[in-house]
Amino acid sequence: MTALPRRIIKETQRLMQEPVPGISAVPDDSNARYFHVIVTGPEDSPFEGGLFKLELFLPEDYPMSAPKVRFITKIYHPNIDRLGRICLDILKDKWSPALQIRTVLLSIQALLSAPNPDDPLANDVAELWKVNEAEAIRNAKEWTRRYAMDN
Amino acid sequence: MSNDVDERVVDEVEALKAILMDELIVRTNESGYPVAVETVVFPSTADDALQQYVCLTLVVELTPGYPDVAPDILLRNPRGLDDSVLGRIDREVKEKCESYRGQAVIYELIELVKEYLTASNLPSCQCAICLYGFREGDHFTKTECYHYFHSHCLACHVTSSEKSYQEELDKLPAWQRNQHPQSPCQVLCPVCREPIQCDMNMLSSAAPPLDVENARQFELSDELRSLQRQMAALFSHQKRRGGIIDPEAEDSKLLLVTDTTEQEGEDDPAGPSVLFPPAAPLFNSTSGSTGSSVPNRGDWRRGGRGGYRGRGNSGSHHNRHGRRHHQAAATSR
Repeated sequence: MTALPRRIIKETQRLMQEPVPGISAVPDDSNARYFHVIVTGPEDSPFEGGLFKLELFLPEDYPMSAPKVRFITKIYHPNIDRLGRICLDILKDKWSPALQIRTVLLSIQALLSAPNPDDPLANDVAELWKVNEAEAIRNAKEWTRRYAMDN
Repeated sequence: MSNDVDERVVDEVEALKAILMDELIVRTNESGYPVAVETVVFPSTADDALQQYVCLTLVVELTPGYPDVAPDILLRNPRGLDDSVLGRIDREVKEKCESYRGQAVIYELIELVKEYLTASNLPSCQCAICLYGFREGDHFTKTECYHYFHSHCLACHVTSSEKSYQEELDKLPAWQRNQHPQSPCQVLCPVCREPIQCDMNMLSSAAPPLDVENARQFELSDELRSLQRQMAALFSHQKRRGGIIDPEAEDSKLLLVTDTTEQEGEDDPAGPSVLFPPAAPLFNSTSGSTGSSVPNRGDWRRGGRGGYRGRGNSGSHHNRHGRRHHQAAATSR
């Protein structure tokens, strides 16, 4: 295995020493570029009370290119598709090497607080979110309760 | 006391006052004879205060008998200087005092300290690219927007930006590419996204930052291991409840969805088959029975890299929406 870049080591250490509220990220035993992540659903969002598992991978040229992130836990959200892929500009063309694992995960948590059905990835979800927001939010709450709760 | 007045001291202090003006503070005894002088020393940066990251107050106590006796030197209020640099300045200053016995030394001391500060004039923040600080001997660059990076790190950013720019350009059809011929890649500041100009020859010749080379290796702590166990438990729990995304199952579901929507003739012209192509899963999360969903590295290369770029999903999505994305957190500092 090639040496792990120091920046990744430093980020991992900081994630442990100064954890971000509502977010945990742990490197995998066998691959220090692969992180197991839990993001808690933000308060006052339909995802409140949910514990969402994500996976995050730092590609070879990180931090020059963005981490690959996807949801593992099912989630009903207009900007997250059935495969858990996330539509977020900083994960694509707005990536900057000054962003970090923690800022990426905070942005994803913010996306849960502020769904944007006008720029959808999950088209059927976005459609309902636009025509009947109340029902969409009910669905999101139901999915959270059914799939993302701890008990 | 007045018997001790030494004209050499009075002359030296007068000369210093003429040079430093209000930057010099002179303490006198009750008869107006100077007993100490102090001044804040900055690195020489052509008086550009924005480029001064370190400073130091030099206090020279004029011991009785000075200049035939060495003065007492105090280095106060050091800013941006670590103890090793401070120790070296202190030693050098004392040596100079010894070697200048009998002569006026204060101006020499100020110059000596200034020389050291100029050599140690480094920003105390971190480089936002490698997350390490700036050490003596590191080559660093200040952008027009006053952000600091190791030259080596910024060179990597510029190279990477140019590469992605070229890749985006190559994706365009020829007629579109010809519309803006030769438009150069505009590199943005990693921190504030302001356009920046870089001298790549200078940047790329810089050595990697020193701290990065010397950093410690990472080891998993017990705390981390316990967190890993909690996460594995949560994963198993959610899997039992059917809460885990199964990319293969989702793919086969999508094939059905395509059929039904076509029959029902829904108004989405792109159709779900474009929005949710049966692509290879991003991560090979179905492999492995331990409850952890770690892909081996080989899978990552195939699924993560090739798959990511080649997948029709992001392309169609962006085309349909004119490359709009969520405005996410800025990288402000």
